Amino acid sequence: MTQRISIDPITRLEGHGKIEIFLDEKGNVANSYFQIPELRGFERFCVGRPIEEMPLITNRICGVCPEAHHMAAAKAADAAYHVDPPRTAKMLRELLYSAFYCTDHTTHFYALGGPDFIMGPDAPVAERNILGVIHKVGLEIGGKVIQMRKYGHTVVEMIGGRKVHPCTSIPGGITKGITEEQRKEIEEMGRWAIDFAQFSLKIFNDIVLGNKQYVDLILGDVYTHHTYYMGTVDENNKVNFYDGKVRVVDPNGKEFVKYAPKDYAEHIAEHVEPWTYLKFPYLKNIGWKGFVDGSDSGVYMATPLSRLNASDGMATPLAQEEYDRFYKTLGGKPVHQRLATHWARLIELLYAAERWVELVTDSEITSPNIHTKPTQTPTEGVGIVEAPRGTLTHHYWTDERGIVTKVNLIVGTTNNYAPIQMSTHKAAASLIKDGNVNEGLLNMVEMAFRAYDPCFGCATHSLPGQMPLQITIHAVDGNPVKVLKQFC
Amino acid sequence: MKTLVIGLGNPILGDDGVGWRVAEEVKRQLPSPFQGDGQGTGVDVDCLSLGGISLMEHLIGYDHAILVDAFALDEPLGSILILKLSDLPNYSAFHTTSTHDTSLNNAIELGRCMGAHLPDEVEIVGIATRRIYDFSEELSAPVADAVPFAARVVLDLLKQEIRKSRRKSFAGVPLAILG
Repeated sequence: MTQRISIDPITRLEGHGKIEIFLDEKGNVANSYFQIPELRGFERFCVGRPIEEMPLITNRICGVCPEAHHMAAAKAADAAYHVDPPRTAKMLRELLYSAFYCTDHTTHFYALGGPDFIMGPDAPVAERNILGVIHKVGLEIGGKVIQMRKYGHTVVEMIGGRKVHPCTSIPGGITKGITEEQRKEIEEMGRWAIDFAQFSLKIFNDIVLGNKQYVDLILGDVYTHHTYYMGTVDENNKVNFYDGKVRVVDPNGKEFVKYAPKDYAEHIAEHVEPWTYLKFPYLKNIGWKGFVDGSDSGVYMATPLSRLNASDGMATPLAQEEYDRFYKTLGGKPVHQRLATHWARLIELLYAAERWVELVTDSEITSPNIHTKPTQTPTEGVGIVEAPRGTLTHHYWTDERGIVTKVNLIVGTTNNYAPIQMSTHKAAASLIKDGNVNEGLLNMVEMAFRAYDPCFGCATHSLPGQMPLQITIHAVDGNPVKVLKQFC
Repeated sequence: MKTLVIGLGNPILGDDGVGWRVAEEVKRQLPSPFQGDGQGTGVDVDCLSLGGISLMEHLIGYDHAILVDAFALDEPLGSILILKLSDLPNYSAFHTTSTHDTSLNNAIELGRCMGAHLPDEVEIVGIATRRIYDFSEELSAPVADAVPFAARVVLDLLKQEIRKSRRKSFAGVPLAILG
């Protein structure tokens, strides 16, 4: 007899999805499917519009990371117009992006990933949220989180023109610079952000790394996969969120390929499964071998952990120290344990804050030279940035008037669809035994994909979150044999 | 009494953008003395694509808030539902929850813990939709038809709130002007 478990909808996940777990007659996991409703018709929506509109339209795809889409779209438009923005314009974009990263990574750690550790994976679901965290660790944390977010929003508004959905990046650069007065204000906020990032790493160190149970959980086999890793690196192979080449390392940490954004299609292909509308990107030159680990499988991952694995280090000193400590503690490179992504995210938070200060203290940051006028006929262009959730690729084709004729996007989370599928399956198989299912176990299945911070909806239609969760176990005849609920 | 009306949703996801259309209509119809200036005078009207903590951050400093949003329950398309945030029957039905962080209720509690001034009660005007997975700037006909009615509902709620304040003026404007 086969039983079926549905986790629908998933708590604390971008967009919304559903996990179907099929048990065999002994009550162990036979198969599992992570299904996501896809938003439709984006290419049709874009075709016929001037390419200059793309940075404004694509940032409406997602209510969580509009800054990432704005940047990738602007870079793709730069490329399509064959124009190289002035140094100051690039720095301003990256400065905005660094502030956004600080906001985004902070929110994920304190509201999504952190509660599982700070409150414990078995804590009642009503307590596993940001309120539980501040009640347990102290009000001071809540104040700092809100302050960090406020500073991030302020910088995005100063440079991007709006608190959310920035609108100032255009082909060839940016429409507004910053004054010396603004520069000083941004620097002050950035220095505070560095302190905050270090404070966050200390919390992780004290609460998570100081707890043997959590360290065992992180290092255990349940949340471990050996795959390829992807991330954007600078000319020294250090992590960069805004610009550089895409580097992929194999499961042993050896460089497999490093390519310029325009060449992405030579290296990435997409696999289709009959049970989902979403496609599964994989490394073209390895090939699709199914949802399996190893050097022979083209499955790759693109997350904060991947970026650390795919690089030779961080480009700022404090983050580099943490990078070294990370690999020393976890047994060397690459780290395959998915739950270590939460730690990697905090190291990236520190890097983003340091980079923020580095950029805003550059002598050219207030230069009025912020735009290069495009003079060539547009054709096609690819723009890649590292979104918090993975490598984000925008590719546009235009006619000679700059009207979009074709669009291809690979959004951050899409890169990780196959690894997430593998992680949820492995966690379910490890944690659901002989038909024994309870809320704590199911949350640990959710933890498997929460580390990836997936954003499948990639839209502002942010339905779930802390919401009703109903898990129904069906017998083969369709009759429910067990129902678990929360927030219902 | 500082009041904020927010249209929620994604304006490029078909009927999902109905909250924005209603908010824009409210702003158009609001008698000019009541038009907000963003500084606490009059009624501020905004359009956002946010939930959870980000949405809470926009409510800071206001005494009263009305959220206008698409909802996806099994009601006839274009039906209008009025309720309070604390009465939400299904956390998943509206944008007030962000899956990236937490529900608006939790976020408001978080804000209050941090000493932020937030509305005692948040009212929600929902419009029943279903076509929310296709990129489009157009509303379906039944949902578009509901826009003026939903705007009227919001304006009536504002009127009631203003009268409830039992003052001769609201944000410095004589109540007689409201009609």
